[in-house]
Amino acid sequence: MKKGPGSGACPGVGVPDKITEPNSGGSGSNGASAKEKDVLPSPGELENIQLKPSSETHRKKLCGYLNKLGIRGPIKTWKSRWFIYDENKCHLLYYRTAQDINPLGSIDLSTACFDCKVENDEGVFEIRTPNRVFTLKAISKQAMMYWLQQLQVRRWEFCSAQSRFPVGSSQLVNEPLVDRTNVADDEGFLPPVKTPTEVVGLQAASLPAPQTATALQNISLKHPWTEIQNTVYNICGSKQLWGNDGNVFNFNKFQEHPEQEAEVEAQCTVKETPEDGRMESRLNLFRKAKWMNSSLTEEQPRERNSMDKVNVLQQQMLTLTEEVKSQKELVKLLHKALEAAQQEKRVSSMYLTAAEDKDRLELVRHKVRQIADLTSRLEALEQEKKELEQILTLRDSHIQELKEHVQLLMEKNHAKQQVIMALTEQTAREHSDPLQEANTITAETLYKQQEEIEHLKDDIDAYKTQNQFLNSEIHQVTRLWTRVAENEKALLMKCAYLQAQNCQMESKYLTVLRKLQETVCGLPSSHAELVRNLIQEALRWDVKEGADLNLDPVSEYDEYGFMTVPDYEVEDWKLLAKIQALEMKSNNLRSQEVVEKPLRDRWNSIGELSPSAELKSLIRSGIPVEHRQRVWKWIVSQHCSYLPDHYQRLLRQSKSTEHPACRQIELDLPRTLTNNKHFSSPTSQLIPKLRRVLLAFSWHNPAIGYCQGLNRLAAVALLVLEDEENAFWCLVHIVENLMPADYYSDTLITSQVDQRVFKDFLAEKLPRLMAHFEQYQIDVSLITFNWFLVAFVDSLVSDILLRVWDAFLYEGTKVIFRYALAIFKYNEEEILRIHDSVEIYQYLRFFTRMIVDGRKLMNIAFNDLNPFPMKLLRNRRRIHRGELETELCELEQIKAAYVKGRAEQGSRGLEEVVSEEEEEI
Amino acid sequence: MMAIRELKVCLLGDTGVGKSSIVCRFVQDHFDHNISPTIGASFMTKTVPCGNELHKFLIWDTAGQERFHSLAPMYYRGSAAAVIVYDITKQDSFHTLKKWVKELKEHGPENIVMAIAGNKCDLSDIREVPMKDAKEYAESIGAIVVETSAKNAVNIEELFQGIMIRTVCSSSLASWCWLCRRLLVSSELAAGLGHAAVPAVLGGVCLHRDSRL
Repeated sequence: MKKGPGSGACPGVGVPDKITEPNSGGSGSNGASAKEKDVLPSPGELENIQLKPSSETHRKKLCGYLNKLGIRGPIKTWKSRWFIYDENKCHLLYYRTAQDINPLGSIDLSTACFDCKVENDEGVFEIRTPNRVFTLKAISKQAMMYWLQQLQVRRWEFCSAQSRFPVGSSQLVNEPLVDRTNVADDEGFLPPVKTPTEVVGLQAASLPAPQTATALQNISLKHPWTEIQNTVYNICGSKQLWGNDGNVFNFNKFQEHPEQEAEVEAQCTVKETPEDGRMESRLNLFRKAKWMNSSLTEEQPRERNSMDKVNVLQQQMLTLTEEVKSQKELVKLLHKALEAAQQEKRVSSMYLTAAEDKDRLELVRHKVRQIADLTSRLEALEQEKKELEQILTLRDSHIQELKEHVQLLMEKNHAKQQVIMALTEQTAREHSDPLQEANTITAETLYKQQEEIEHLKDDIDAYKTQNQFLNSEIHQVTRLWTRVAENEKALLMKCAYLQAQNCQMESKYLTVLRKLQETVCGLPSSHAELVRNLIQEALRWDVKEGADLNLDPVSEYDEYGFMTVPDYEVEDWKLLAKIQALEMKSNNLRSQEVVEKPLRDRWNSIGELSPSAELKSLIRSGIPVEHRQRVWKWIVSQHCSYLPDHYQRLLRQSKSTEHPACRQIELDLPRTLTNNKHFSSPTSQLIPKLRRVLLAFSWHNPAIGYCQGLNRLAAVALLVLEDEENAFWCLVHIVENLMPADYYSDTLITSQVDQRVFKDFLAEKLPRLMAHFEQYQIDVSLITFNWFLVAFVDSLVSDILLRVWDAFLYEGTKVIFRYALAIFKYNEEEILRIHDSVEIYQYLRFFTRMIVDGRKLMNIAFNDLNPFPMKLLRNRRRIHRGELETELCELEQIKAAYVKGRAEQGSRGLEEVVSEEEEEI
Repeated sequence: MMAIRELKVCLLGDTGVGKSSIVCRFVQDHFDHNISPTIGASFMTKTVPCGNELHKFLIWDTAGQERFHSLAPMYYRGSAAAVIVYDITKQDSFHTLKKWVKELKEHGPENIVMAIAGNKCDLSDIREVPMKDAKEYAESIGAIVVETSAKNAVNIEELFQGIMIRTVCSSSLASWCWLCRRLLVSSELAAGLGHAAVPAVLGGVCLHRDSRL
């Protein structure tokens, strides 16, 4: 990284840039920035800053150096990166240096959340995006909080702008600002952190990266190409950038801020006049002091710096004082030596100056005497020394003794202490009095604990901050989430509406195609070909495996696996069925918001199910797919006491012995619900399940065994309930609780009774239609018999069928009557228009499948047909059963008589053909 | 405009012998291995040209399982013909066929044309009912007999052609006789019957009526 001539001299020099605001008036004339604007990745933003310097509302650019934890490779290292926030995209871009042109990467903040943990090092925080977690490190806690808060604010603004204009309009800077103040007002989780200007903002770009990592360490190995580009750019750019006006740049900046402290001013002046020797030395001194004071880092407040300085100076002073002391000692010794030497000198000179030998002798004698005297003194001293030595040895031995004694005492003491300890422990254990324990705490432990408490307090503070931040984060993310959810809801509504419209269009298109098809013979051949192709295209399902987006307005299978368009042989029917499927879908989509949603909400609010009028009406409207299984299970469990192991026992039984119904069941298994994908495939899991359920039922109710049609009932139960045992009990519930006795048994007598009852109801509720049927000799039971026997399976489209079943399972067989009548009423006018018995039959064969508006049908069934008393139904059943039984009895008699007659005829041996002719004539 | 004769035909027979398949093959010329079992009955129509007439078959296909037999009268009531189907690979189904014949004789419409169809003749490897048995039995009751395969579309058309010829004959004969009796009483009533041409062989009189009258 290239540095300005003065700025990079020492780590502390970052301080001068401290107060410079990015959009202060001075930056307009800032040569470096002016150049940057042409080359920085997002020149538009910079331009904004420079062109509108006085704009109060415009906010500071969020940028600065952070350390980013590399994620690749076994060794995770911190790499210094220049981060810059891109407002347009809500991305946080990062570069190797501020001067780089291409970012190494970007973080999408719109979907990110932020986190900081106390356990981490100071200043470490995380940005979590759905794809990745970025671990970043600011140089201090304060800086970290600043970043986090700013990022929150930016994300909020961006998301607000987004959600407010989901269509993607790119305007409005002021709106989010208003919003932002709101956020600040009502949040109040964390007081906004003061901007640590020296580490963020554009000015930080001219600083060295805060961590003195080697250039090599910072190089991104992941982005070699970007690295090269950036390097090339830096080489070219730096020449212009710092070529001649680097000094001016600094000078100008400081000129704008006369309130700068003296030190800084000093430095500035030095930079201004570098040839001034005096100032140079002052600067050096200043620098030296700073070097010695290694704890001086640019982010710390000034007081701390001076304190440290004083400390160091005091220490220096101490060492110097000691040095002085020793020097003085040395001087004293030297003085003594000097004195002795001088005396010697005097004596020598006296000896030399003595005039006569006598005097000299005298002197020598004096010396000798002196020597003797000294010798005797020496001897005396030696004597003394010896004595002292003796005393010493004596003392030594005495000491030894004493030591031993002490040792003894110590040992004794130790033993005693141990005893005391043991006793104290014992007493402590006995009383376990906290006060006593507190008493035993010595001063040392107290001190330790205090220290610990201090630590804990610190931790608490840290956690508090973290907590506050996380609260604000949660608050904001929740708000964002709510907003997004609302947005999503709106979009879903719109989507549903559009889908409905699409369905409508498609259905209209198909109707047109169908009309065209009818007149196809009259068209020129090319047109006819076109129509045919279009029809075939419309009927083809675009099934792309694994494709997420299905553009078909209706899918081929519904949620239970029923084909939306049955596989009719005739193309025209298929076309009609598809038109219906589309109409149905469109109906459903349109009613979703108005009808379905409130219902769904009501369903969702139901926790524990209990029989009530409200539940009844809810079930009549159809149980939502997500609740159906639960509700059906509940209904069945209300009426059937699940005998534990009963089903398993039946299965064992069916395995060991073959039921006579087995053959019929096997015959029907592959031809059950052939329009459902779960049953149409021979390998489907549901077929063996169905087999077991039917076999178990044939053993459970030997009177019925198996009746064709039960397979369809069990199949629908399996589709909804999934679990085979539940499906079994559902079948039991239908056959044994809902339907009258003998509905499925040998003669199907009650089924036949119900047909007569139904005709009565039809005559009563729809007299016009009944008269019409009578006129054309239509026997509706030919059509309706299987509606009743299999509860409309294979007659109604699955969506309506399951709604009918919901109510049927809950309320019973009356529902079948209601719906059977409703189906006729739904189509009454249509039927009345047909005046040919064959055509009426033809129509009745398919008309159940033509019903698309399930809601309308439901309203007819449960409102228009009222009153519908159960008592009446029961009475009619009783009457008709009596009648039918008499009829059957008569028939039996006729049969018996015939057989008797035949036997007599047979004895006469007449040919049947002859008898026929006889009858005819 | 061509005359249309309506011809009600019902299909009877044991379960799973292929009644619905025969109808499906005849009406839609389509075969589906797993056609849904018929509950109660199903109704289909097919119009076939025959000489200068159109014959509209109204086909009532019934359920095969025995407990549905009690419903059968509803369907064979008023039928001109009954196709009784058995499965040549299942002896049981031939027994059931005999029961049906008996029931028709007892309770069926007079003069009902019976046609016996031995279905699944594509599976003759595992045949259980010899062709001879069926033929002998059919002769004994004066019924049409034919072995069919709905799967391979064998003899399906022929079966219904045969029925068509027989019904025309028998009904013409019947109506002729009936007409002879009734014409003297009321000609209007006769018109109401809507019967078509009586073969010239039978009396040299050719009545031609539109069934739609």
